[in-house]
Amino acid sequence: MICCKECLDLLYDYLEGDLDAETTKSLEEHFEDCPPCISFLNTYQSTTKICRETLNQVEIPEAIRDTLLKVLKDHKESN
Amino acid sequence: MSFSQPKEDKEVEEALVREFQAGNLEAYDKIADIYQKKIYGLSFNLTRNQMDAQDVTQEVLLTLFRKINMFQGKSAFSSWVYRITLNASYMKLRSKKKEPNISIDELMPSFNGAGFQQEKIQDWSENTESLMFTNETRDVINKAVDLLPEKEKVVFLLRDVEGLSTEKTGEILDLTVPAVKSRLHRARLFLRKKLSNYFEEFASRKAEK
Repeated sequence: MICCKECLDLLYDYLEGDLDAETTKSLEEHFEDCPPCISFLNTYQSTTKICRETLNQVEIPEAIRDTLLKVLKDHKESN
Repeated sequence: MSFSQPKEDKEVEEALVREFQAGNLEAYDKIADIYQKKIYGLSFNLTRNQMDAQDVTQEVLLTLFRKINMFQGKSAFSSWVYRITLNASYMKLRSKKKEPNISIDELMPSFNGAGFQQEKIQDWSENTESLMFTNETRDVINKAVDLLPEKEKVVFLLRDVEGLSTEKTGEILDLTVPAVKSRLHRARLFLRKKLSNYFEEFASRKAEK
């Protein structure tokens, strides 16, 4: 059976679906017997999700958008 | 987990670029409109500063205007825009005093001699919903990302936040696919650990009440 270290090393490729059938099987067997690795897998996936949701909330403030529009307009007119 | 650019979008963009190269200013407006938010978002996440992100966005949009003929279509147009954005953001960061990076290795998982996990792993993945939209959680997430070393941070922002494919991230950063994967995995492990500390502390605070 593979150990936790190997399991976490394979996590990335597992989630991408890049592992061959045999490796996937031994990884899933490990998960069945190892609740800590299941917790690790779940929190690893959650991390990506909540970081993405938080960092994607960046919006351009209205004032900055207006300034940018003006700069671009002036620049185009002077060319 | 990757959302590569849909083919139609890419074709529309390439057509706009060709029109702008031929002198059509309306095509430029459309390009600026498509990219403005992406440029601002990426530079803000790198610099964590509105003024810097504004400067970078302005500079990149002007560069696209002035130097569109330097774009030769060897890589995707979006890759070119991301590269210009990264360079401009790094120029901003270099002009500032840098806080020392913490070692990413210290936050990697630890194992015993037989390769089994040594620390107790709590599964907080089900408890994030209620915490997601509090300012405290947002702060913790932003600070954790901020603490990532530059090499890991940029891969994480392009791949996981912008949602670019591994291949495209590699193209932009001039990295091989295995190098992108390895940096992204390290970034995720680092962030998972940081967020675990927070969510576990939160759970014990709640239990004490």
